[in-house]
Amino acid sequence: MSGRQVAVVGGATTDFGVRPLTWEELAQEAGEALFRAVPALRSEDVDSLFVGAAMPERFAFQSHVAPLAAEQMGLRPTRLIQRTELACASGQSAIRSAYAAIASGLSDVAVAVGVEKMNIPSMAEANTSMACVMDRAWDGVAGATAPPFFAMVAQRHMLEHGTTPAQLAAVSDKNHRFANANPHAQFHRKTFTRDKLLGLPMVSPPLRLGDCSSMTDGAAAVVLVADELVSRFPGPVAWVRGTSQYSDFHNLANAGSLTDWPGLKHAAREALRRAKVDLGQLDLAELHDCFSISEIVEYEALGLCPAGQGGRWVEEGRSDLGGTLPVNTRGGLLGCGHPLGATGIAQAVEVYDQFAARVAPARQVPDPEWALVHNLSGSANVHSVMVYQRGEAA
Amino acid sequence: MSGPGPRRPRPRAEVVPPAPAAAPASREAPATPTVLDFLPREGDADTRLGRFFSRLREGRLSTTRCPRDGTLSWPPRTVCPTCHQRELDWVDLPEGGRLYAFSAVLAGAPLGMERDVPFAVGLVDLDGVPLRLFGRVVGRAWNELSVGDPVRVEAYPADDGRVFYRFRAGPRP
Repeated sequence: MSGRQVAVVGGATTDFGVRPLTWEELAQEAGEALFRAVPALRSEDVDSLFVGAAMPERFAFQSHVAPLAAEQMGLRPTRLIQRTELACASGQSAIRSAYAAIASGLSDVAVAVGVEKMNIPSMAEANTSMACVMDRAWDGVAGATAPPFFAMVAQRHMLEHGTTPAQLAAVSDKNHRFANANPHAQFHRKTFTRDKLLGLPMVSPPLRLGDCSSMTDGAAAVVLVADELVSRFPGPVAWVRGTSQYSDFHNLANAGSLTDWPGLKHAAREALRRAKVDLGQLDLAELHDCFSISEIVEYEALGLCPAGQGGRWVEEGRSDLGGTLPVNTRGGLLGCGHPLGATGIAQAVEVYDQFAARVAPARQVPDPEWALVHNLSGSANVHSVMVYQRGEAA
Repeated sequence: MSGPGPRRPRPRAEVVPPAPAAAPASREAPATPTVLDFLPREGDADTRLGRFFSRLREGRLSTTRCPRDGTLSWPPRTVCPTCHQRELDWVDLPEGGRLYAFSAVLAGAPLGMERDVPFAVGLVDLDGVPLRLFGRVVGRAWNELSVGDPVRVEAYPADDGRVFYRFRAGPRP
């Protein structure tokens, strides 16, 4: 890639869940966690801040959150400061913006933080906000939120490819199992067997509660630095080797096939091309499992298996630890919960922690070098991909 | 299509000139705060798509088509997304279609929709045109629906005297 090389040199997440904390308090916790995880980071060296936040206006009645987050985290950015909003992919957008700022020379040390407060007294009000992610006036008005949309994806996938509820449960089972080894996960230490998952109540048929990620409070932060500053930070680094996005449609009328996500194919192909790495060289992937069916379609769009075979792929354990490509060792959105703006950052934290071999053995990939992260938004209409390579500080 | 207005015979692609530029009408305070209001605003003070809603009041679902390049858009637009010109034709859409996919909201409904739970939603391939529209599906419970079922578009009276469209499934075949 052109420009300076950029690396993630560390990061941290708060606990995810139903937290008795305000938006501001979540941002403070993210700052505390970041400076604890990256002891070499000095607040005065952070020249830029990018804040991934999807809907603070609606969930916390607060705009202009970038300086608010800076104040909460004890930062005083002197070069660039902004919020990035891309619904469920607001977090990765913050990382990509930090990367671009450093690669271009506008920044040397940037923090990307994601904060989302989603549990508010009225869940109906929260669901109203979620419907605004869709084309509110034409689709949201009829009751379109994520669950019925992804339920239709699942229905078509079952119809076209014979995917089964048990295969959907296999995704959720795997990710909840990883979440049991992640103390920050919303569903840490909650047991979900496949049988139990298949008996949970239906939310939007054919999707049951266990097929859906939850409304979650949480925050996460990473620090990115220019290549010449990497040596200040001991330990391994995660080089940003490639990134791309693809925006396909917004109104559901323009979605095309529900089971084929060309936007992910394009974004992943471009990110891998820029990273000069092949799919087969990847050691782990964080894929956006907002719903169990999402992860199955993503295997297929990435080319990990032929179209229609994603259900079988997970059932065979190919995306499990020890399989062809371990997917969502963090616990995924299904196991960790999905605080919209924080999810994309937490995915990157997982990659860094995997590279640093600091996660629990039950989810540690042995000696990983390459990782792909996928963060989708809305009705899978935008796909955002980043590719990282482990490196050692010079 | 059944709706609040009278039924009348109509051509498939009636061309209607765009609304003339006019001073915005005075605006009354909305009954619903904007940040909680799902329905599109219909009046000339708020949108140039007023014709969509006036036609829907007559029971006619319509959208815009570009006379220059033929682009048929959904939702209706004020500027062609292909050639970016502003003079678009209004065309009526077929009232019949088939369910391409559907699901239901059994929990987690937004404000104002909780009373509708459980309700069905779906994507409908309209007959004879390359449009697949999302909408509420009424007339039959979600677990009585099947992919491929015929449905018809209907207009219905919505909040604050506004109008919107939905799909109605007939009795189970």
